[in-house]
Amino acid sequence: MANLGRLDWYDIARDTNWTPRYVAESELFPEELSSAFGLPVEAFEEYDEPYKTTYTEYVKVQREKDAGAYSVKAALERSKMFENAAPGWLSVLKMHFGAIARGEYSASGAEARMVRFGRAPGMRNMATFGMMDEIRHSQLQLFFPHQYVSKDRQFDWAFKAYDTNEWAIIAARHFFDDMMVTRGATGVALMLTFAFETGFTNMQFLGLAADAAEAGDWTFSSLISSIQTDESRHAQIGGPLVTILVKNGRKAEAQKLIDISIWRAWKLFSILTGPVMDYYTPLEHRKQSFKEFMQEWIVTQFERSLLELGLDKPWFWDDMIHEIDHQHHGMHMGVWFWRPTVWWNPAAGVSTEERAWLEEKYPGWNDTWGHCWDVITESALEGKMDQTLPVTLPVVCNMCQLPINFTPGPAWKVRDFPLTHEGRDYHFCSKGCQWVFEQEPDRYKGHLSLVDRFLAGQIQPPDLGGALKYMGLSPGETGEDALQFSWVEGIRAERLRKAG
Amino acid sequence: MTTTPPGHIASAHLNNRVGPVLRQGELAKAVAEAAEIDNPGKVITLDDKVAYLRVSTEGEMILRRETIEEMLGKPFRMSELEVELSSFSGRIENNAEQVRFYFEKKL
Repeated sequence: MANLGRLDWYDIARDTNWTPRYVAESELFPEELSSAFGLPVEAFEEYDEPYKTTYTEYVKVQREKDAGAYSVKAALERSKMFENAAPGWLSVLKMHFGAIARGEYSASGAEARMVRFGRAPGMRNMATFGMMDEIRHSQLQLFFPHQYVSKDRQFDWAFKAYDTNEWAIIAARHFFDDMMVTRGATGVALMLTFAFETGFTNMQFLGLAADAAEAGDWTFSSLISSIQTDESRHAQIGGPLVTILVKNGRKAEAQKLIDISIWRAWKLFSILTGPVMDYYTPLEHRKQSFKEFMQEWIVTQFERSLLELGLDKPWFWDDMIHEIDHQHHGMHMGVWFWRPTVWWNPAAGVSTEERAWLEEKYPGWNDTWGHCWDVITESALEGKMDQTLPVTLPVVCNMCQLPINFTPGPAWKVRDFPLTHEGRDYHFCSKGCQWVFEQEPDRYKGHLSLVDRFLAGQIQPPDLGGALKYMGLSPGETGEDALQFSWVEGIRAERLRKAG
Repeated sequence: MTTTPPGHIASAHLNNRVGPVLRQGELAKAVAEAAEIDNPGKVITLDDKVAYLRVSTEGEMILRRETIEEMLGKPFRMSELEVELSSFSGRIENNAEQVRFYFEKKL
């Protein structure tokens, strides 16, 4: 029997906007869960998903993807990647899996909300596949690092980081909960699928795959680039909604949600992706700088797509372009300095050769961040290790939950952006984070940053030891310098050579 | 092979580049060859990042199932492109016989 071609039946089969007879439309699709901006269902009838897939095709293609990822893992299991990898590279893996694996389950929940409460049938259909995609991502990214747990207990954090109050995961969870867990279907489509997945996930899942391939970690490279093939399909859920919202007079509302997501994603990636690309990945394996990957994926590709759909550049675009040169250097130094408070071993990444590379990619680095690292390097050379470690907590932002930092040097303009709201003082790292708060204070006002919790007496005893306990970090898990300061010995040998 | 389009980052969004980004492998190579055949007269740019291959051109790119099949030397269904399609620039439109990447607005 001849089968109909997909195009001959797809539209009619997935057209499930039936007229409810037993309940009101508003009960079937409550505004809080659908977040349809008050538009009638007819406005969504025009939704035409650009990337059409049927369930039969989905199963066949996903089976092939999984077969590929698992067979690469199986083939390379005896390759001694773990034993031979640079310590900085293992830190990349620990940070990636801990920050992301369990968040994928949250993403599955967000897709499920679109499956049930999305106003357009095509959106619900695509989200059904997206919901299953995200389960795949969680399971792959929990299974792959599991093989390393017996060799290095920091890999246990791939699974457990999400259940702790470790500061970096508080930052990740704050953003993920904001855009995935606590938004209606249309909000999820704009903030998660459009802004986050057609934009920023490419940095972590393809940019980093390029570094992984250079580093010889084909298992990781193959895994994350395979995950991104799911994203490139289900990320298309948001685009047609943007078109509908713009056409129906809701451009400002759509732009606002997308801008919030872009700003928040940028802040998170400045600490998640920036340091691993420019400091942890061994120098000889760096395919491009973080800035070059940002230009390729976020500016050239993603920002162009905003304009295509009738949106504008976010109001903070110039600030963000400026920060691409700066922000992640400060985040990196903060993570390295407060290294006992993270579940991976940060690589300083400031040997003589690495500093030359940083100066080439970020002209002026030596005159700014370089000076701070000079002080750290001198302390380490003199064996004053206590001076390379923290005794207090940094001031963190009440939106991104990340340390407030600016580029030091002659142009140092360190400042915070304070706001008093209903009698409580908040501190933000930037105009962008303050703006996000001001869009919906009720959403954010009750959250206590780690420093707020410290000041409120929730962390006892109120010192570094108490903070580590609060964050769930046990001895043997707390971060150390990835190279055990061997990079300092290189500098010492160099100086001795020069001194003759 | 060229690298990421040059130019200052602040104006890098002012472009009309479209096309797929594929995981490295035989399909990526076949698609790169098919892009040349299916888009006569257009300059196809390949940006090889080892883990992925970015295939791009100006404004519009069409890839036909038959051409990819011929380049692969074995049967190919258009939906199988997704196995390696990690990302793409521009809008996408796909059916059983071809996939098209394009922009409606020209910058």
